[in-house]
Parts: sequence; C-alpha cells; structure tokens
Amino acid sequence: MPRLEDLTEVARQGHLNFPAFEHDDSPFVPLTKPLSEAKIGLVTTAGLQVRGDVPFVNNDQSFRVIPSDTPPRDILQSHTSIGFDRTAFIRDINISFPVDRLNELVEQGVIGSLSKNYYSFMGALRNPKQVEEETGPEVARLLMAEGVDAVFLTPT
Amino acid sequence: MLARAIEEAGLPTAAIVLLKEQAVRVKPPRALWVPFPFGFALGNPDDAPFQHMVLAATLDLFKSTSAPVLADFPEDGEAPVRLLQATAARAEATSNVDADAADELTAMRGYYERWVDDHDGRTMVGLSGVPQRRWRGLMKYLQAYAAGDAPTYEDMPSDVAEPRFIRLAADDLKAFYMEARMCQRPDQKNNEVQQWFWTETATGNLLAQIAERMTASDDEPLTRAAFGIAR
Repeated sequence: MPRLEDLTEVARQGHLNFPAFEHDDSPFVPLTKPLSEAKIGLVTTAGLQVRGDVPFVNNDQSFRVIPSDTPPRDILQSHTSIGFDRTAFIRDINISFPVDRLNELVEQGVIGSLSKNYYSFMGALRNPKQVEEETGPEVARLLMAEGVDAVFLTPT
Repeated sequence: MLARAIEEAGLPTAAIVLLKEQAVRVKPPRALWVPFPFGFALGNPDDAPFQHMVLAATLDLFKSTSAPVLADFPEDGEAPVRLLQATAARAEATSNVDADAADELTAMRGYYERWVDDHDGRTMVGLSGVPQRRWRGLMKYLQAYAAGDAPTYEDMPSDVAEPRFIRLAADDLKAFYMEARMCQRPDQKNNEVQQWFWTETATGNLLAQIAERMTASDDEPLTRAAFGIAR
C-alpha cells in the first residue's frame, strides 16, 4: 500500500520484504508516433477474467484474454485477496480497469485507438519467473501482432 | 516486472504503481506512483474527472526520452489507508451475528437484486459457479462445516477441491453482501461496509468461524484458504 508510514508495522514489513526482482536499469523502447495516432493496449494485474473463464489461484502466472468490447457486467475479479478493498471495484470497474475512461480518450482524440484484446494477470505474485520469461513476453507478442503501439498497465 | 517483460519484447509501456518502494527496486520503464490504497489504482470510484487526471499523468510518461522514469501523482484519493479486517472488527460484533445466516441472506436478496438491476447487470458474484438463487443449500452446508461437521454439498463442482470451493463461495457471499449493503445504504462506503459485514451480519460471523476452523487445522490448503476468507 502507498505511504508505508501510515500502515501498521506488520503490514509495512510485509510489503518491504515482499520479494522483488531488483534491477539497476530499465529496458527502453520509445513511442515513435503521437499518442493521438497510437493504438493502446491495456494490461492489468487485477486478476480479471471474462465471466465463465477459469478463476486465478494464488501465484497463478497465466493470463486471461478480455476482448476490449466485453461489457463490464461480463468481467469478474478473481484476485480477491482481503488485503485490498473490493468495494471500489464493485462500485466502478474503472478503478482498476479503466475501460470507459480509455474509450472516452479515444472519443476526445487524445489516443488513437484501442487494442481488440486486453489482458489480465494475477497480482501479488511471489516468484513471477514464468511471467517474466514466458507469459509476459507472450502477451507482448499478441499485442504487437495486432499492431499495438504502446501498453498501459494497471494494478489493483 | 510485467512492464519490463513487455518492453523487453519491444513495446513501450507506462504503468501505475502503488508500492513506490517496489518500483524503485524493480524499475519498470515508465511508472506513475499513486498515493492510494490497494484496490484504488485510479483514485476514486465513480469519479471520472479524477480518474482522467491519473490517466493523463500516466500517458504523459510516454514523452520521456529515457528510462526508468518514476513520477509521483500529487493528489491523495478519498479512501482510508487501512482496510478494516475481520479480527479487528469482530471485537465489536453485535447480537445480529447470531441470526440464521440463510434467513439473513434471503432478507438481503431484494437489495442485492436491485443493485444488479441498477448496474446494468454488473455483479462480482459468480466465482463459485453456484447461482445465488440456490444459495440456501450452500448456507446450510457452510453452517455445518463451521460447526465442525463433514457435510457434503451436491452443487460443489467435482473438479474443485473443497477448500478452494469454500474460498470461492466466501468471495461470492462477500460480493453479494457488499452489493446489497451499498444498495441499502448508499451513503456507506469502504470501511463502513466492512465494519457492517464483520460486526452485524450472521454471514460475516459464519465466514470468520469457517476461517478459524481452517486455520486450526494446520493443513496447508485449508490454512491458505482461511487466509483469504478472514483474518
């Protein structure tokens, strides 16, 4: 949770000690066209799925495909850790998966278009090696194959 | 980490991050740190203007000519920082929790169904696979389980282990109650809804009892399921 100083000591230590792959630098690919002409893909770690798809389990490193025209009523969240407040997502899908906001940005001409498919992973992964080496790159390939120019990522 | 993998594969990324300390270590290529609690990545639910400010700040990172870039979003959201958990709330449990959970569920159904109607059919109920109109049997099963019996339940999918099924059923029940409550008391939000569920409902009490039984078992699938039901 943000502002670790506001949390209980137990929660603070839990987050500080959460395993992370440390790096000294970042990969960098520039966006080569204006956002107003770019096709944007949405990828979330909120543990979302189309209703009827298989729910995520703890440390699940697979992903789910969510067609970008899926109505919000057909999207479920199976990342249901009681470490976060579900009432926000119950009220408004956009709090973690801003599908309506992105559509508005296309209508306003701020971004060019949206990908045909969005993707969801599970959050709070303790050893996301498979995401790093297999499933993450696979989603990148799928997005590139449909001509996506840049990716927007959201947590829960 | 996921952002890095996608960028390594050739696509520029921009991510919202909630844990700044993690982002400093992992170094996603472009990240906006937001000072909101887990569950509130875009700030405030039903507040499109605020959400657009967060989106604009994230998309602005694509202007960067190098990576990593980790920017701070300057404004706080409205949600309380600490999420109320069952153990803390239940010290204040009222006598309401001793009611029959199956009867209580029936009493809440009208609010729940109105919430769903008012939200274009959207509901977070649906993970267990058992339709809510058939939950009376589910409640009887959960009550027997909480009491220490070894009940069977005919609607449990054969390919799902019992601890996993109970966890999914608990998630469905919580979603049902939260949606019903937000219909019944639209002024209540966040921790007020949690407080109500854990201190004033028989189902909150039932789930806490189930978690206690699972935790006491020392059996790993059970203790892991309990960790996600109540603590």
